[in-house]
Amino acid sequence: MKVLILNGGVNSPSIDSSIQDLKHKLSDKGVETGELILNEMKYSPCRGCFNCWVKTPGLCVFRDDGDVLCREVLHSDFILLASPVIMGYPSALLKNALDRIIPLIHPYLEDIEGEVHHMKRYSKYPVMGLLLEKSGDTDDEDINIITEIFQRAALNLQSRLSFVKFTTAQAEETAYEIINN
Amino acid sequence: MKLSIINGSPRGTSSNTEKLLEHFIKGFIETEGNIAEKYYVFKERPSFENLKKVFLDAEVLMIAFPLYVDAMPGSVKEFIESLEGLKGKRPDLKIMFMIQNGFPETHHNRFVERYCAKLAGRLGCIYLGSICKGGCEGLTIQPPVLVEKVFSGFYKAGRSFGETGKLDPEVLTKLARPEHLTPENLLQVIPMVNNFLWDGMLTKNNAMDKKFDKPFE
Repeated sequence: MKVLILNGGVNSPSIDSSIQDLKHKLSDKGVETGELILNEMKYSPCRGCFNCWVKTPGLCVFRDDGDVLCREVLHSDFILLASPVIMGYPSALLKNALDRIIPLIHPYLEDIEGEVHHMKRYSKYPVMGLLLEKSGDTDDEDINIITEIFQRAALNLQSRLSFVKFTTAQAEETAYEIINN
Repeated sequence: MKLSIINGSPRGTSSNTEKLLEHFIKGFIETEGNIAEKYYVFKERPSFENLKKVFLDAEVLMIAFPLYVDAMPGSVKEFIESLEGLKGKRPDLKIMFMIQNGFPETHHNRFVERYCAKLAGRLGCIYLGSICKGGCEGLTIQPPVLVEKVFSGFYKAGRSFGETGKLDPEVLTKLARPEHLTPENLLQVIPMVNNFLWDGMLTKNNAMDKKFDKPFE
């Protein structure tokens, strides 16, 4: 099993230490774990040109770390999206990363449970989990909103959201959830 | 009434969001004394200083954006984060949102709409509501009859808002149709979008033979 952690924190000690603990736990259990520190990567926000769907299918026209994001996500069995909650939602850093992996799906639409969604480009996609650091004004409604949106996003990225955990959780617990997703 | 609009589409002035806003504004300024001004998130990255001033000075503020991976585009989230220090500074500011998506159904917008309503409260502003509309991809190449219906809906929403200062729930509900597609609609719409919109663009770009490419496999 290969786990990829997308670290969407910016000066977030709680996120960083949770990730370190989790990586040790997963490593102890023989799970291959990688981490992309988004703040250290160079990728532009998606400009919505759709060239990755209609001009160079499967490839973004920007030549930056967006390609690294796509490759690493696709070749993982599980991606853990780790981020502080800022203004009621995970960081812009993480959102820009998710916007840049749309080359992994196909523009064609299909009927999924009575709704229109995009088709797969590849045969297999990783399962997703969310690891959040709450801020002072984060409440249960925020978490509910985030969970629903990420369930939808996972569906549109041909994945599924396995869990939402917080940095206050024990690394052992999060590792268990990942391995048994 | 003065309406300040922040267009959050990364496509900026050439976006579908911009086209919809033009029709909303056309209806809005029909009421004497109403004026509208527009700003663009993509031009203001990364400091957003100008947009923060707009937030501090506006009478009525609309933040408009396309749905990206089921939420706001990342650059709009950057802008929202830049407002963190201004929470509670504008208790008199009336704020509303316009969210459009490229899927045929409006339902996809309802989840981020909840976020927008919560955001208005988090900023300490007066939430006027959100205009939600699906089916907005390829407005320049969709059949004119469909596009005119969408534009007319935005014009009516703008006119109604210009007259009353409120978003009429009945107008918004009509504009949002179809909220969902029936099984029969799904069977018709999906091949139409795939063959007409996507294959049309792939053919234009001489990329039909590459459409199922898997460059990261």
